[in-house]
Amino acid sequence: MNEDAFKKAIIFTAAAATILFCLAPFGYMILTGFSRYPDFFSPQTPWVATLSNYRAVMFSESLHFTAFLRNSIIVSAASAVISVFFASLAAYAITRLALPGKLLFMFLILAMSMFPPVSLVGYLFKLMTALGWINTYPALIFPYVAWTLPLSLWILVSYFSRIPRDLDRAGLIDGCSRLQILFKIIFPVAAPGIFATLLLAFIFAFNEFLFALMLTTDRAARTIPVGIALFEGLHGQIPWGEIMAAATLATLPVVALALIFQRRIIQGLTRGAVKG
Amino acid sequence: MRISFNNRFFSRETWTAVGFLLPLVGFVVIFILLPVLGTLTDSFFLDVTYRPKRFLGADNFIWLFNDPGFGRALRFTALFVLVSVPLEVILGLIMALVLNERLPLRGLMRAAVLVPWAIPAVVSGRIFELIYNYSYGAANYVLRTLHLTQGPVNWLGSEIGAFLALVAADSWKTTPFAAIILLAGLSAIPADLYRQAQVDRATFIQRFFKITLPLLKAVLIVVLLFRTIEALRVFDLIFVLTGGGPGGATTSVSLFGYNYFSAGDFGYGSTASVILFIMAFGLSLGLVKLGRVEQGVMP
Repeated sequence: MNEDAFKKAIIFTAAAATILFCLAPFGYMILTGFSRYPDFFSPQTPWVATLSNYRAVMFSESLHFTAFLRNSIIVSAASAVISVFFASLAAYAITRLALPGKLLFMFLILAMSMFPPVSLVGYLFKLMTALGWINTYPALIFPYVAWTLPLSLWILVSYFSRIPRDLDRAGLIDGCSRLQILFKIIFPVAAPGIFATLLLAFIFAFNEFLFALMLTTDRAARTIPVGIALFEGLHGQIPWGEIMAAATLATLPVVALALIFQRRIIQGLTRGAVKG
Repeated sequence: MRISFNNRFFSRETWTAVGFLLPLVGFVVIFILLPVLGTLTDSFFLDVTYRPKRFLGADNFIWLFNDPGFGRALRFTALFVLVSVPLEVILGLIMALVLNERLPLRGLMRAAVLVPWAIPAVVSGRIFELIYNYSYGAANYVLRTLHLTQGPVNWLGSEIGAFLALVAADSWKTTPFAAIILLAGLSAIPADLYRQAQVDRATFIQRFFKITLPLLKAVLIVVLLFRTIEALRVFDLIFVLTGGGPGGATTSVSLFGYNYFSAGDFGYGSTASVILFIMAFGLSLGLVKLGRVEQGVMP
């Protein structure tokens, strides 16, 4: 009994510490975004609520925040859709069709995601310059699709391999082509898995920084992470209130997606990594 | 289904499969494999914007190994991996063990864990930049309130302070990922084993070392592998939080390479990047061998 009570106390303390650890910096960001004085932790400064930081971020032309956010959403959504579409074609072939060396192929594709982004970005910069794509959406979308494909493939293969093959056979007997089977039979059945993969690919593209930093130059294509990283005050003083308001707005889409679809995200993340 | 090899090596079905794989392979080859090979080629050239490209042989590599700046970046990156990865995996394991218990706030906890994972590393960098602010950041406020130090700490101004600040910020962002993966591993351990252990009156510690840890080994190695690869390439957080400073003390190999790229020196930047991907590959192969990960990661 005594050991049980002790164990319970430890677990509750650890649970409280986990929640505090995860949410405190996030809460600090939100609090600062709504604060008139970002230095509210210094002795004589009160915390006074204001919306002026949000107003500045949303409506002041010179910050280009809404343009960055729009760029981010368009680039990430396009990358996620293209990546998941091509990955599902490949996952169908790997789980359903006669193909030698499938396992080797899967590992070769996985190995591609082990290259550090910095070992691609110099060449990509020269390639995009040659194509005249610097500071356009395609300069980010194409590399993001390639970058998220290994992840999408691995997750989708694990979802597709659980769908009974009898469904395919029924489709073949009815005279469907392979593509028709994929679109009309597999897609509806695997919808939760495809949705989870889309979300993960979107989040990965939305948060990407190095390519966006190197391949864009201004609001025509610059994404939110770059905007926030390079956000500096005009007069030397760092505008912390505005930065945190911008950070809150930028974080909102991904955090909302992650929380609403918590179960699917965790499932998608772990499917690729754990046999189960 | 048997493949027929009668007059062609590939059956019709195999050709269909190849067609289905083609777009994926195309993207990966053009936007990952070719850039990597391009970087490898560039590392043997003098390749600076507005100057004629010239073959140098191994000169870039010789310069790089005699470059104290690169040596420093290499040492910093190795130390960062050695300190942050074990810390994150151990913290992640503790979190996963807690999340695996039946607690009243389990749902809230699982949601809370996703928050640091979901936000961009750049945003976490900016939050921690404010936390470490010398005069009004939260870190010094906590130290002052608890009377832990004489005066405020200049976190980002000293080498050791900046290093610890980076490790703490990185742990906040990435521990949840380790916890999520390890939690999946934990819930795959059959409950019968624990019930049997309870019958045998095994203590909590005994259960952990005799059942949990051995059965979690494969997943632990996967997490170690992922985290090591990511920590080796650390860039976003450092770019925002310290900019590589003070005095270049926290410049990672990625940031070192980027600094040359952004200055227009593609040859030398590529050379540093080549060393980084060789390190990433070597470490991955080592970890895969260590745990025969194939069994752990295959769907």
